[in-house]
Amino acid sequence: MSMAEFTPDTTIRLGAHSVTRRFGALVANDGITFRARRGTIHAIVGGNGAGKSTLMRILQGMDRPDEGVVLVNGMPSVFFGPADAFKQGIGMVHQEFMLVPGLTLLENLVLAQEPLDGLRRIDRRKALEAARKLEREAGVTLDWDMPVDDAPVHVRQIVEILRLLYRGADVLILDEPTAVLAPAQVQELIVLLRKLRSEGRTILFISHKLDEVMALADEITVIRSGKVIGGMATANTTKAALAEMMIGEILSRPNARPSTVGRTVLEIRGLAATDARRVLRLKELDLDVRAGEIVGIAGVAGNGQDELIAAVTGLGRVERGAVRLDGQDVTKLSLRARRELGLSYLSPDRAAEGLCLSAPISENLIAGRHRSPALCKGGVLQKGAIKRHVETLLDRFSVKRASAALPISSLSGGNQQRVAMARELDGSPKLLLACQPTRGVDIRGIAFIHQCLLDYREAGGAVLVISEELDELIALSDRIVVLYDGRVTGEVPRGSAKVEELGRMMLGETRQEIAA
Amino acid sequence: MIDNIIHAAFVMTTPILLAALGGLVNRVAGLVNIGLDSMMLAGALVGLMIASQTGSWPAALVAAALVGGLLGLLMSLTVTRLQANEIIVGLGFNIAVAGLVRFFLKSWYGTSGTLSLPDVAMLPRIHIPVVADIPVLGAIFSDHDPLTWAAWLLVPATAWFLARTRLGLRLRAAGAAPQATRALGLNPLNLRDASTVFAGMMSGLAGAYLCIGVVGIFNEGITAGRGFLALAAFYFGRNRPWPTAIGALLFGLFDAIQIRLQGRGLPAELVQTLPYVMVIVILTLVAITIKRARNKGA
Repeated sequence: MSMAEFTPDTTIRLGAHSVTRRFGALVANDGITFRARRGTIHAIVGGNGAGKSTLMRILQGMDRPDEGVVLVNGMPSVFFGPADAFKQGIGMVHQEFMLVPGLTLLENLVLAQEPLDGLRRIDRRKALEAARKLEREAGVTLDWDMPVDDAPVHVRQIVEILRLLYRGADVLILDEPTAVLAPAQVQELIVLLRKLRSEGRTILFISHKLDEVMALADEITVIRSGKVIGGMATANTTKAALAEMMIGEILSRPNARPSTVGRTVLEIRGLAATDARRVLRLKELDLDVRAGEIVGIAGVAGNGQDELIAAVTGLGRVERGAVRLDGQDVTKLSLRARRELGLSYLSPDRAAEGLCLSAPISENLIAGRHRSPALCKGGVLQKGAIKRHVETLLDRFSVKRASAALPISSLSGGNQQRVAMARELDGSPKLLLACQPTRGVDIRGIAFIHQCLLDYREAGGAVLVISEELDELIALSDRIVVLYDGRVTGEVPRGSAKVEELGRMMLGETRQEIAA
Repeated sequence: MIDNIIHAAFVMTTPILLAALGGLVNRVAGLVNIGLDSMMLAGALVGLMIASQTGSWPAALVAAALVGGLLGLLMSLTVTRLQANEIIVGLGFNIAVAGLVRFFLKSWYGTSGTLSLPDVAMLPRIHIPVVADIPVLGAIFSDHDPLTWAAWLLVPATAWFLARTRLGLRLRAAGAAPQATRALGLNPLNLRDASTVFAGMMSGLAGAYLCIGVVGIFNEGITAGRGFLALAAFYFGRNRPWPTAIGALLFGLFDAIQIRLQGRGLPAELVQTLPYVMVIVILTLVAITIKRARNKGA
């Protein structure tokens, strides 16, 4: 490839030309070409494993392409590290935020470009002045002396964005920026990003949430399996067309058929619980889940969901109140005893709690069921019986695998979640506590997991779903219960839930207040 | 009597404090340095040799700091560039340096275990008139050597350095979130290497202190695990310089008491374990207190 193919063009602020990146046999990026024009918001859209993150790492200098080049102002550029990208004005807000714990917001803002005073000390006054100026530009107010660890997620995100501006970036790459935000905060972010665009900055926005992409982007590039499927102006496409490009087919929506509601399986009365730092997070909670019913819990992270999970599973402390499982008081029982009474628990943290990533698929699948006499006789695992059991389950849940003896980390996130789901639905539990059931799972996997939950409900199972995805809660739940500051702010039955209304309830308004 | 113990406690604290401040900065930047003891041992030997050769204690200190820093650099590169486990590398350095020192003594000086050299320049003692005659205060402030003064002045200096300077901020960032630091265009590995070199230099000085500040001869067991006491001191202080200094002083005090108790009918070997037993006791008490406070608070 010769340089003659390229001409300097300042209207093309950032782009890629035939970028290919391989990891062993896997081609993460396969000849990706796109161009983001100066002063626009350009969305890169794709499912899990489409290659979005690899592309972003390359654009930001964290990784280098095997073939092809990154374009800056229309010309090829080679980045040997994030510092090189930064010199060209390109900065990134990562999905897992890149703020340093233990440092204050102000220290994080100026890190790597600290203003110094005459004595070579960090000049706090100058740093604070710069921070206040950025605050005004962005239309926010922050407590700059707060340690990062105490700052809520959306504040951290704003600090990350301001830090890029502080360091003079005019191209902002945002990786799934709304994944951690409540609906109202998403709106604030959208306003902020539009403001930055109007000031002439270029924004590259990675997402698989098509509503936001349609609302925010000027232009869209869709990638699937490492290849560009299409590029278009937002005005010339629709959400349905994008979804089809992303997954290559139209999925039927999971179908919630009416089911008969039976006896109460989970009964929570007057529950109060503290977190690990002994802060009271759940203040007074009453909740029922009946057989044949899915109850969804909506709420901004940190409003008592974790403590609810801990109280239902028995993994945390309960201050007051009672938890009854199928009529029996289990408040003081261990998780093992609760499981034997029919509790199943799909952990929100697949990597740390839900699965053991280094263990084989088969062992992950029988973990917790390994005491059943069919699988284990006299303390010796029954290899043949386990293998038959495992293969049956894996087939039933359509888990794509080379061999069940491989570590589960060899599976994609979506398939890992299928394994976790298969384990938890095995043995006909009475109550399934499903936390963030589709976190990090792509559209196809989401549809499958939703169908599993609905089938289980139809067969008479009781499900308590805790999720940060409102669309998911709306699609699944017979009732959505909104948690705010450790209390229930309202309950919305199936069919009448709206994202906007739920969003306001999640920030503390009651249903009556919203109606008024 | 009490003045003697106080004075001895400060003397025994200096090596622990020097190495602890080095190890503290090292840990803040993200590396737990188990190898402090090896750098101390090398600093002790080189310090004594140079003090004898040149007759100049500043030259001896410079040489000890250099050899400690060099070992620190080697250790750091093994950990940061070859991705070796820092615990294993630290242990390896302790064993390897001890072996090399023994080999060197045997092949170079033909002695085993102990090395005594002529004309060793010892650290001078700074006598402060008037103050020296006040009980307790005199023992605390007078008749200490420059390195002891330097060690204590380094306590606020380290606190200030970490909190207020650019390099301090960057070291903290490199330790707390290396990925994030890298994403900002800084190199956390370089920062970490620099901190390990600093820890090595401080440990080298600590070693030299034992030789030319206290006993005047070298023995292969001269550090007596003080690198590990330093480690315990900054764990006790939870990476804050003043509490770390208090920890070092506490261990120094028990070291001084231990020396006093020797030859009073108790078996010497048992008495010598006192500072180390106290480490376990103190760290356990600290852990219990923290746990209590956590359960009670918030």
